[in-house]
Amino acid sequence: MLVRFWGTRGSLPVAPTAATIQRKIVNALISADGRTFDGEADARRFVEHELSFAAGATYGGATPCVEIEAGPSYFICDMGSGLRPFGLDSMKRNEAGHSKTYNFFQSHLHWDHIMGFPFFAPAFDPEATIRIHAGHPDAEEAFRRQQEEISFPVPFEWLRADIEFVQLTPGETHEVDGMRVETILQHHSHGSYGYRFTDGEGRIVIYSTDSEHKLEKMAVEAEFITFFGDADLVICDTMYSLADSVSMKEDWGHSSNLVAVDLCHHAKAKCLALFHHEPTYADEDIERMHQETIRYEELTREGPPLDVICAYDGLEVRL
Amino acid sequence: MNYSLDVQDNAVVVRVDGRVDESTWQEFSAGLSEAVRQAGKAGLAHVAIDLSELDYMSSRGLRVLTVAKREADESAISISLVSPNQVMREILAISRYDKLFAVTDSIEAKE
Repeated sequence: MLVRFWGTRGSLPVAPTAATIQRKIVNALISADGRTFDGEADARRFVEHELSFAAGATYGGATPCVEIEAGPSYFICDMGSGLRPFGLDSMKRNEAGHSKTYNFFQSHLHWDHIMGFPFFAPAFDPEATIRIHAGHPDAEEAFRRQQEEISFPVPFEWLRADIEFVQLTPGETHEVDGMRVETILQHHSHGSYGYRFTDGEGRIVIYSTDSEHKLEKMAVEAEFITFFGDADLVICDTMYSLADSVSMKEDWGHSSNLVAVDLCHHAKAKCLALFHHEPTYADEDIERMHQETIRYEELTREGPPLDVICAYDGLEVRL
Repeated sequence: MNYSLDVQDNAVVVRVDGRVDESTWQEFSAGLSEAVRQAGKAGLAHVAIDLSELDYMSSRGLRVLTVAKREADESAISISLVSPNQVMREILAISRYDKLFAVTDSIEAKE
């Protein structure tokens, strides 16, 4: 099983400005401190191993889109702006013989999670099959509405792929092209759904974004601990600090890095991927949040260590 | 996790040790509610929570602090976090709870 992150930012796509890139280059040159490099590979080693991730790279700015490679068809969580590069990449794989069946799983239908679909090139391929799974009964309405003329020049009816909407029910186990899929209702405006994917070899990935764990409902977190149970990877909404999530950003529908660690600890999950990054955060802010989360995991650990990674656009995690 | 309530320097003082986590947060929550009630009953305007002997506090415990603060706010009672040990200082900083609560080195420092 391979998990590929195409979009990891929350709420709104962001892109680095010229000033941001210049600052990174200036800081890299200062860090190099006059040294010379024996070719590109040597320079790349310096960037990858001697600069921090935030200094030498970027977490990216596309909104949520995560591919799970496990079996002949595609499995994709959410259709944020990261869907566009995934669609183009998948067309290359299709030319090499990959199945043109796309199984999508929608956490919910807010704009940042569906905005990639009008730019999803395989939707124009008459040989493609697109199944959009969602817990929401009004998923089709949301997708058709965003392609009405007032919002977008290409209407949904012009798409040529075979498109089907499939409603999933929490508490039931669904078999989708060899993948076992379960879903859980989460707290978010208009509701959101988390997913538990189990492949044929028993590897487990949880996708739980846009999920607020309410202060006055801590007792129901037991359901999430069970849902996350023994997962190999938990991709979790960690948009805010805990303090923000219970104060000025309470009821904004998102969670914190600390709650994610606690849920994963109790669920005995192996790896937590911090996800749905706050769009106002610079790379340095996200990196700091990552380091702090690693430290919190160490301070509160009672069982086996939880590997805490920070998702970025382009990250691949093999399980 | 164990806690005790006491009155000192015109404040109800909550002393807590052990771990406040998944298994103990409800007991800790009950203790904080009792501390706020006692302060209200005795006409004291302050509850001080001594964090010097805690092993750690997870997000459950931190969120219980917020619940207690809301209860206290309704009675114009303030809550401060007193003498956090090194682990708790780190957790308060990582969670940004040091921005939500007054953190002091001693109960007197609040006065």
